[in-house]
Amino acid sequence: MEKEFTLSQMEQETDEMLRIRYLNKENAVFQRTGTGFLSLTVGEETYDRVQVVRMFPVQSTEDLLSIRTVGDKTKEIGIVEKITDVTPETAEMLREQMNLRYFMPVITKIRQIKTEYGYAYWDVDTDKGSCCFTIQMGGNGVVHLSSNRVMIVDIDENRFEIPDVEKLSHKERKKLDLFL
Amino acid sequence: MILTYDLSEENKRLLGLAEGEEVYYVLPLDIDMQGHFRRNSYFVMTNRRILRLEEGTLTGVYPLEEYDSVKSEPQIACGFVYVEKDGVQTIVGRYSAKHLTRFSYMSRGMQILKSGRTEHVISNEYEHSCPKCGRGLPGIKECPHCSGKKKGTIATFLGLLRGHVPMMLMIVFFMLLATGITILNPVVQKHLVDDVLLAQTRSVKAAVLLLAAMFVLTMGIALVNALKSYYCSKMGAYITEDLRGTLFRKIQSLSLSFILDRSPGELMNRVMMDTNRVKMFFESVFCNLFTIVILFVFVTVYMFILNWKMALIAFAFTPLSLFLSMSLRGNFRKRYRLQGTKSDNMNNRLQDVISGMSVVKSYGQEKKESERFNETTEEFARVQRSNEVFFAVFFPALSFLMGIGIYFVTFIGGRSVLLGDMTPGELIQFVNYTGLLYQYINWMSNMPRALMNLLTSLERIGDVMEQEPTIVDGEDCICHEIEGEITFRHASFGYQSYQPVVEDVNLTVKKGEMIGLVGASGTGKSTLINLLMHLYEVDDGQILVDGIDMKKIKLADYHNQLGVVLQENILFAGSIYQNIAYARPDASIEDVIRVAKMANAHEFITKLPDGYQTYVGEHGGNLSGGEKQRIAIARAMLGNPRLLILDEATASLDTESEYLIQRALGRLTKGRTTFAIAHRLSTLKDADRLVVIDGHHIAEVGSHEELMEKKGIYYHLVQAQMSGNMGLRSETPDMPPGPHGHQGPPGPPPGMSGAAGR
Repeated sequence: MEKEFTLSQMEQETDEMLRIRYLNKENAVFQRTGTGFLSLTVGEETYDRVQVVRMFPVQSTEDLLSIRTVGDKTKEIGIVEKITDVTPETAEMLREQMNLRYFMPVITKIRQIKTEYGYAYWDVDTDKGSCCFTIQMGGNGVVHLSSNRVMIVDIDENRFEIPDVEKLSHKERKKLDLFL
Repeated sequence: MILTYDLSEENKRLLGLAEGEEVYYVLPLDIDMQGHFRRNSYFVMTNRRILRLEEGTLTGVYPLEEYDSVKSEPQIACGFVYVEKDGVQTIVGRYSAKHLTRFSYMSRGMQILKSGRTEHVISNEYEHSCPKCGRGLPGIKECPHCSGKKKGTIATFLGLLRGHVPMMLMIVFFMLLATGITILNPVVQKHLVDDVLLAQTRSVKAAVLLLAAMFVLTMGIALVNALKSYYCSKMGAYITEDLRGTLFRKIQSLSLSFILDRSPGELMNRVMMDTNRVKMFFESVFCNLFTIVILFVFVTVYMFILNWKMALIAFAFTPLSLFLSMSLRGNFRKRYRLQGTKSDNMNNRLQDVISGMSVVKSYGQEKKESERFNETTEEFARVQRSNEVFFAVFFPALSFLMGIGIYFVTFIGGRSVLLGDMTPGELIQFVNYTGLLYQYINWMSNMPRALMNLLTSLERIGDVMEQEPTIVDGEDCICHEIEGEITFRHASFGYQSYQPVVEDVNLTVKKGEMIGLVGASGTGKSTLINLLMHLYEVDDGQILVDGIDMKKIKLADYHNQLGVVLQENILFAGSIYQNIAYARPDASIEDVIRVAKMANAHEFITKLPDGYQTYVGEHGGNLSGGEKQRIAIARAMLGNPRLLILDEATASLDTESEYLIQRALGRLTKGRTTFAIAHRLSTLKDADRLVVIDGHHIAEVGSHEELMEKKGIYYHLVQAQMSGNMGLRSETPDMPPGPHGHQGPPGPPPGMSGAAGR
């Protein structure tokens, strides 16, 4: 242990944890690392790699983002309150990182749902391409995010979203009815 | 779990393997960088290189020698893999949640290859779905479908009947009897009309005789049905009893991970609800199944023989009747379900508020809460009202519509009678059969759903039954009297193996030594204890007990020699005496009293009005935390364990009971190898060595003095607890936070044993 822990240091850390720092185009410079990640410079501090975490992932995918260091002891560097607070280029970079972190294809069409022995086999089109997945019946495979918004979790814990059940065709609704 | 997927010949050619180069791991990169699904893309690791194949082209080559490590990073429902060199990370590819675990194994494999070893990493985890047919696998190794092992659900069902054959035969007998009587009754009616009422010579005697026959038949059917239902219920009850017993035994035999993966409610549902559904099936469906099928066939045939034209008319209306009953039933179900949901909402709301009343009151939210409650009750009332109206209107209408065929049959039949083609008695008989026919059709239209319910329940039960416990005694397991030397050798473990909680732990504990485990929450202390208790098994490495691999010691034998005192001690409903004697029911009363005294529990127990026979409610409801703790210590002492585990045994106690418990624990741990976890560091002042866990590893090992000297993490923790205990005083000038030379006191300060600090 090279680093020494002292009370004042600890208090400083605690104070830092309590502070809410908003990042915007004036104080923060985000840059692509060229290896798939994002670096950040805020004032004197430079971070080789930061991650972009949604604080309210269900409600807002583009606002209230926590910019954090990576690793086991991840710490918050600052908050991007609205994605419009940063330049459009930076916003694009943040979106790339969020795309890397979150994977929840939106189901656009339900082709078939077959049930057999406690599992339901789905064949769907999503905004990320067509795919087949399996959910467990009678478990927590279907989660209501709001009255019409539904998240489906398959046996591998992949997530799929149906943003508005009402917007599905009558036929698709019927296939889905068993799970709602 | 597959770590080496098969590559097509074309892909293999693309790899361009050199002489002596061997493919180790092949894992799919099933989503691209933008997150689109794709096929035929792989991450390949050989003993020399990492390669990336994307849809039929080789797009990346990373020689192993050039990189320090390859790491997989789990994200939200996906993950990515990157290579690292001098701290610079480069993404290689992305994958969906299906492959998260595989990549973490592969990452371990890379470290093994880098270290110059050549063994393959093998995963003992089960696939979630069959790699061949894609069917879901409920925690089983082999796909029952592909390996041909699956007993059909019908076989499972028949298996349930085993052992109840005599009763089964009795039920079949009653079914046949009921069938006969049901068919006979309209025949008698026909005779009454044709041969007596409309006969030339009207005989009162014959009429009375036939009426008596009808009476007997009606009574008979009631009696037979009652007996049939009685035996069906009885058999249903027997079968559920068997089923619950087997299920319970099975669940207990399964490893803790299976149980913790599921909510207690879910498992309770399986034992109670699913078995109940099987029972209901026996009572309401199975009981009538044969009767109604036989009757249906008989009535149909009979009707066609009697008058095929009228039979056709009767049947012409069955599709209408079927359609009506099916479609309306769907509607009914939806309404019932909605009402159920609303009623649940109301109950939950109520439960929430009543159990949290102190919060509601202290925040002055009574008005808001009652408004919210009103909303839910109103909603429930609205749904209920609408349902009542619906049922009141539609049930009579439905029965009218369903029976509409009868009016036509009567009309056509009536004409035939008038024309002399048919006797009035025959008409009555025919109309009776038509009524029965509709009744059966209605009943049978409900069958698919009833069967579906049964099948799902049987499957859900089967899911538990088919589970194989992951921790079982091997054939070469031995009984071993534990001396107390424990060695962790490269022990690694994660509840989900892609997120290790304990990584490469190495530690040797001498016989009789007391080890204090220290570290922030979530660093893996409790996990280490769980491993030590053999509730889970290490993914990698070994835990040795007296030099013997823990996996080689019989589980029951091992557990018998363990003593455990936890923060929240589970006491079962029963007397204090029974709770103490739990581990050794054959203990003498003297033994129990002796351990109670040693645990400083005897005094308070004898003060209780019912002494040792005080009834402890579920979860030990009517005892204080300290009292429960002392009973748990007595329980642990009675078992005379060779190995002792204390997990936060003195947290949440007031100072006085802590003192008593410390004393009790002191007696308990004497001469026994002990592992103790405590947040409050003062609890560990008797520990021979302290093990500081940080970031899933052992960070520091040593006595209190040594670690204070070292000024590492432990020193930091002691400082933090001190300043926490002293409240804000550290901000006042009389305790300057000196950057250097601020020596911690040699032992944990007396203030630390107070109740504060947490």
